[in-house]
Amino acid sequence: MSQVRIRVPEKAKAGDVVTVRALVTHPMEVIQVKDGKVVEKNYNFIHKVEASYNGKPVYEAETTQAVSQNPFFSFTIKVNEPGKVKVIFHDTEGKTYTGEADIKF
Amino acid sequence: MNDTQQTHSKQRRHALKLIGGAGVAAMIPLGLLPGAAAAATGLGMPKPDEKLEQALERLFGKRPLQPAGDKLKVEMPLIAENGAVVPVRVESSLPMEANNYIKNIYIITDKNRRPLNARLSLTPDAGKLSIGTNIRMASTSDVRVIAEMSDGSLWQFKQEVKVTVGGCGG
Repeated sequence: MSQVRIRVPEKAKAGDVVTVRALVTHPMEVIQVKDGKVVEKNYNFIHKVEASYNGKPVYEAETTQAVSQNPFFSFTIKVNEPGKVKVIFHDTEGKTYTGEADIKF
Repeated sequence: MNDTQQTHSKQRRHALKLIGGAGVAAMIPLGLLPGAAAAATGLGMPKPDEKLEQALERLFGKRPLQPAGDKLKVEMPLIAENGAVVPVRVESSLPMEANNYIKNIYIITDKNRRPLNARLSLTPDAGKLSIGTNIRMASTSDVRVIAEMSDGSLWQFKQEVKVTVGGCGG
């Protein structure tokens, strides 16, 4: 159902700051409230995003339901060596969605 | 019945939507959602509705918010036609060095039922601050972008975003 897409520049040099753009297809369903009462308690949204470069954590996001459907995140990494960007999305149903991209020199 | 519901929670959700209001009210007491058990921890997990002041105090305690001036460069629309997708981009001239860097960026929408949109955490490995995401807004409101430095100081940028159609449901 859900799909992760990650975009990185095609080539980088040592010391470059590269921009990583990550997107996951996810409904980000919210708690529905009417007149101050919860009418539908079903919710399912991404609450945490973790990104690592060659296994070293570089970016983390704690997101609430007030982040758009199919959430998108961009961030930068200063690269000194080629490697792999890994982004993991966690949703409130306990599922994880993982995406990877290689940064080549 | 319960087993069937848990293993088919997706179908159940669709069923709920089809059944409509009366059905929803009847079925909620039966529903034990997998997510509900883990709801207690994590900043991103569902929190009760709160006022802006409560949210700020929960996040920052009594620490003062200093106006960011030109330290933060924030791009967001003045008028958002659709509150469901409001792009926010943040760049900054603040340092990103090993022991003096921007630790967290908080995005807060004043008039949302739960003001905190997201907390984005960085490390010195980011090289520079350049981040972006899309947020939801229920109505026209001030949006704050608050940068928390590794030494705990806080810099705030604030701008009003006019929303034509709200995007938070309910």
